[in-house]
Amino acid sequence: MTSSDTILKRKRRSLILLLAPFTVMLSVFFLVPLGIMMVYSFLEPGLYGGVEWNWYPYNYGRIIGWPLNDYEEFEPIYLKIFLNSLQIAIMTVIGTFVICYPAAFWVSRMQGAKKNLALFMITLPFFANLLVRIYAWLLLLRPTGFFNTVLQSAGLIIEPLDLLFTNFSVIIGMVYILTPFMFLPIYANVEKLDYSMVRASQDLGANPLQTFRRVILPLTAPGIIGGSVIVFIPALGNFIVPSFLGGSKVQMTGNLIERSFLQSRDWPFGAALALLIMASVVVLVVFQLSRQAKAEARGVS
Amino acid sequence: MLDKILNSKIWATLFKGYGFLFLGFLYLPLGLIFVYSFNANSINMAIWTEFTFDWYLTIFGGASSQSSFDAAFTESPDRIFEVVKHSVIVALSASTVSTVIGTATAIALARYHFVGKRFYQALLVLPMIVPDIVLGIALLIFFVGAGFKLSLLTIIIGHTTFLSSYVFVVVSARLAGMDTSLEQASADLGAGPITTFRRVTLPQIMPGVVGGFLLAFIISLDDVVITYFIAGVGSQTLPLFILAMMRRGLRPQINALAVLLLLFTFVIAAIGLYLRSRKS
Amino acid sequence: MSFLKIASAHKAYKTPEGGLIHALDDVSLDVRNNEFLTLLGPSGCGKTTLLKCIAGFEDIDSGEISFEEQSLKGVPAHRRPFNTVFQSYALFPHLSIANNVGYGLDVTGVAKGERNKRVEEALELVGLAGFGSREPKQLSGGQQQRVALARSLVLKPRVLLLDEPLSALDRKMRENMQIELKNLQHSVGITFVFVTHDQEEALAMSDRIAVVANGKVQQLAAPTEIYDEPANEFVANFVGTSNIFSGKVVAKDGALLTIETANQRQVLATSDRFGRGDHVELVLRPEHLKLAPSGNGIPESCIDGTVEASVFVGSDLHLHVDVGKGRTAIVHHRHNRGDDGERIEAGTSVKLYYSPNAAHLIKAIGR
Repeated sequence: MTSSDTILKRKRRSLILLLAPFTVMLSVFFLVPLGIMMVYSFLEPGLYGGVEWNWYPYNYGRIIGWPLNDYEEFEPIYLKIFLNSLQIAIMTVIGTFVICYPAAFWVSRMQGAKKNLALFMITLPFFANLLVRIYAWLLLLRPTGFFNTVLQSAGLIIEPLDLLFTNFSVIIGMVYILTPFMFLPIYANVEKLDYSMVRASQDLGANPLQTFRRVILPLTAPGIIGGSVIVFIPALGNFIVPSFLGGSKVQMTGNLIERSFLQSRDWPFGAALALLIMASVVVLVVFQLSRQAKAEARGVS
Repeated sequence: MLDKILNSKIWATLFKGYGFLFLGFLYLPLGLIFVYSFNANSINMAIWTEFTFDWYLTIFGGASSQSSFDAAFTESPDRIFEVVKHSVIVALSASTVSTVIGTATAIALARYHFVGKRFYQALLVLPMIVPDIVLGIALLIFFVGAGFKLSLLTIIIGHTTFLSSYVFVVVSARLAGMDTSLEQASADLGAGPITTFRRVTLPQIMPGVVGGFLLAFIISLDDVVITYFIAGVGSQTLPLFILAMMRRGLRPQINALAVLLLLFTFVIAAIGLYLRSRKS
Repeated sequence: MSFLKIASAHKAYKTPEGGLIHALDDVSLDVRNNEFLTLLGPSGCGKTTLLKCIAGFEDIDSGEISFEEQSLKGVPAHRRPFNTVFQSYALFPHLSIANNVGYGLDVTGVAKGERNKRVEEALELVGLAGFGSREPKQLSGGQQQRVALARSLVLKPRVLLLDEPLSALDRKMRENMQIELKNLQHSVGITFVFVTHDQEEALAMSDRIAVVANGKVQQLAAPTEIYDEPANEFVANFVGTSNIFSGKVVAKDGALLTIETANQRQVLATSDRFGRGDHVELVLRPEHLKLAPSGNGIPESCIDGTVEASVFVGSDLHLHVDVGKGRTAIVHHRHNRGDDGERIEAGTSVKLYYSPNAAHLIKAIGR
């Protein structure tokens, strides 16, 4: 208590005390495991699971086809599945955007208690169990499911339609579980949209379509991009949705990873696939952060 | 006249119509499970035969009036109680620990300045951004390599890691809205740091802390992917149990179980959302 | 041919409680070509609503707005030859200054070469040449204001509507912009319809002022007329400060009237509009009330009073003088250097007088 030095010291001590638990936990149970996984992806798979501690780049070779040794083969199917996963993830982003964008305007124009209720109703399904939500779509889409039964009893179709096990059914399931992720960032942006900008645009001679394209869309773009990133990431790595709604016909990289860990016990290969997904995520997050930093520098958020 | 158009009757009606479609998309699939869970038809759920409570009763070991064919599919109630117990143990411990850790970290970042703070902040939310499956297998490799036996403990550790990030974000938002002069006033009136925390800071951020806890609790209770990789043989949780049931085929019991789980999580989520929206 | 004409416009809003607010209540107004017209009124008086209806952002419930004899009913904002400078400026944050100014030209399909030329001219006009590549957030409030002006003027509107454009600026900047706006209006020769709640701003800039209150135009006249001959008590109080005494004309001698006020005081005024027996309100501006010199030469009509408070504001000394029966008169006494010898403090007895020509009479309402 004699000088400012002791106050500073005491402050530093409490700061360290507060930060220690998360820092330790994050290092031991997050960063180290990710590091080990990275190392694993370059190791030779053991014969009966496990790994041999040998430098082994062929796990990646199998996926993207660079020089291989005698045992491994380049399988274009892995790359194809990865590209299909990308496609499904992108379609999911587009699907959630199309659904959420008008809905955000709908809610933003409400008042008071009504608005809170609508926001509550839209947020609530986010908390429903993932499996239950997918299960609901199984009930809707399967051959003896709701849609087919209704269509059949209405006499519109005779044989049940193949609604399940298509890219479409996987995308629908993804859109369904990820809608809140897209809605909230878009809504936050639409909510603070300054309507005097819209009025200014009309006043300067722009018709409604021009106003939308040149003013409303660019001003709500940060929310759209933010929502797209946080929808894309879980969609890309998802394996639960395709394993139920895609069956054996629609495979995503997540299914390959799951299988190499829990069935074929080829952990290094699974780790390599996981790193492929991580790399896509990192690229996306870096892109988003740099865009945000640029926008902040320009004074637009 | 975009705002005039948006305000006009036709558009207002269109928007309203769309809004209800949107809510319908979100809720009708879940509503379907609810209706099916009372349908006695065990062959095709989409065709209504008669109202029954049997599916709920079978979950709790009640006598089934259905055929022995169904009974074969019905899990023993003991098994269900066991997995529910596992889920609750995991969710309670993981969310409690992560609430303490997340809150402490949030306070540290809101009230102290240090070099590399922004970087540290980015690091803290990383567990929320990394895809579940990547985190799941990374933890699996780590636990196996480090000689941990896969058990409830490994699940709790795994959950705590990423749930702390969620609590951190929720509590940080609360702290950001708090007036720092309150803490200075408390110190000025002679309260020490611990007293100030207990009597001023904590009551102010309490809704955030409780909200964060409930959010963590639900996410833990619902988690499928990460748990899927780091659960051991004897440590199945409720979602993993449902997953296994779904893989064996769709049975009406799943409807009943799903409805119970939905109701439970919705009630907790509603409390959490209410607390978060409440202004101090 | 009339230019911009508003004829018995009505507009009412529903309040959340279910009541009705008459934002425009039978408003008729003729805006002349090339004039600087100010809509002056307190907040919520309907002046901004009127501006929005002219711009085309809102419709009137009944009545008509026409431009050069053509009704504007159903003509959307983007097809009206008017442009608006918004209170918040409403500069597009995602566009550079040049693209903000060029926006109106872009959406109406003006060729690139001409567009760039006109954008540069417009920026030059408002003194911002060379600022085109900056972002709105990098400019000061005053500069943003100029960009908003350039953005509207570049389209060569027939009427420029300005919605309290100076309210966000600090006092010094505001006074500079008043002069600049007035000069700009002269040089571009475009009709300005300017909305403000600041009476000094209105008096300083306008060719004509329409004082608006409760959804009605209270008076439409040149600034001097508004100030010297307010049409009613509201205008007298809203524009400048007024001392208002109610009374009855008890004697008439040529144009000189003697008025007896409620507290049996006899005061003088000149007017040829009123006669014996008329109930009137006598309006006296604080600067027309003078302190009678002590000693000899006291003018004949004097009001005795006691100073309640004296506030020094720099150029003037504002005196609140109790003139009996609970009435307070406000007197602006010019301050001269070296006056502090005779400080006028609370409690001092004073005599007030005025020239009968300075008094303005309004017909008393409801009597």
